[in-house]
Amino acid sequence: MAMAAALRREGKRLAPLMSSQPPINTTLRSSLISPLDQSSIGGARSISTQIVRNRMKSVKNIQKITKAMKMVAASKLRAVQTRAENSRGLWQPLTALLGDATSVDVKKNVVITVSSDKGLCGGINSTSVKISRTLSKLNSGPDKETKYVILGEKAKAQLIRDSKKDIALSLTEIQKNPLNYTQVSVLADDILKNVEYDALRIVFNRFQSVVQFLPTVSTILSPEIVEREAEAGGSLGELDSYEIEGGDTKSEILQNLTEFQFSCVMFNAVLENACSEQGARMSAMDSSSRNAGDMLDRLTLTYNRTRQASITTELIEIISGASALTG
Amino acid sequence: MASSGAVPFWRAAGMTYITYSNICANLVRNCLKEPHKTEALSREKVHFALAKWSDGKPEKATIRSDTPDI
Repeated sequence: MAMAAALRREGKRLAPLMSSQPPINTTLRSSLISPLDQSSIGGARSISTQIVRNRMKSVKNIQKITKAMKMVAASKLRAVQTRAENSRGLWQPLTALLGDATSVDVKKNVVITVSSDKGLCGGINSTSVKISRTLSKLNSGPDKETKYVILGEKAKAQLIRDSKKDIALSLTEIQKNPLNYTQVSVLADDILKNVEYDALRIVFNRFQSVVQFLPTVSTILSPEIVEREAEAGGSLGELDSYEIEGGDTKSEILQNLTEFQFSCVMFNAVLENACSEQGARMSAMDSSSRNAGDMLDRLTLTYNRTRQASITTELIEIISGASALTG
Repeated sequence: MASSGAVPFWRAAGMTYITYSNICANLVRNCLKEPHKTEALSREKVHFALAKWSDGKPEKATIRSDTPDI
């Protein structure tokens, strides 16, 4: 994203230098022109071929780098995609049992924002942060509070700017080892131990396809809230119809189940977000390469025009010199 | 079996269900034979840096890792 913007800016900077300027403005513009520029007899400014050649070389290098990054992202995506799709089977039965009540009204909300550590991946981190902010606005009110738990550097950088006081925890360096369930469950365990919550809302980007990422919110309720909702009826009211084996009480089982549900949903969220990150990086690098190619075409045209103009000028000088001698 | 009302031993020791199931999973992984054992144990590596925030300021991050940093 940043590279594409830089390439566009470069193109805009070249444009005024290439158009011909009336002589009145030459004194104003002389301070902006580098010493290698030549001005021809008609007052039109032309850019030196050397500058254009340097720019072409740097743009070509950037294009090679973004192409390589796209291929790396594609191979990483292949690796994570099967794991993410397989992990969906972990949380679906638990959510079918305990429900995914997004509209539950609770006092202590904790918004867990899943983002990436590395940049150049398009807009997925910004959408996650935007949704986290709207969630916290939705849940604001008298004696209701929202806290953030941030996974990844990019969301931390964005949320620090205006929500510093609401951040409870921040976790980074998650992708140092390939993602596995043990790591995510230790993470989930730390979150559970450090944060008081009535409802946990996990914000992440679900991977639909290589070009489509859907921002999603998954809600996990604490055991007490599950019991409260179960008494109130609705989808959770069916819980009482289940028979409980063994010696555990219902509240113990609920506690185990909600903890396990949190861990599974976190695992899926982190994997899906990693897939979305690689997919977004692929498309961002692809558009960067395309922009670089377009820019290279424009620069080539300028280079040839400049070259031909300088040859024409030389020819004119030679011919006028020759005719001055003979005439 | 445990009588209703008594918590299981691991809950009384302060572990969550997640920690309990991770320990059980680790025991099962250690029962495998080589080479599957090293493969499975490599799926258990943990590394992340956790920073608690108080009042808008992060405290120093604690790094939880199986592989101590070089």
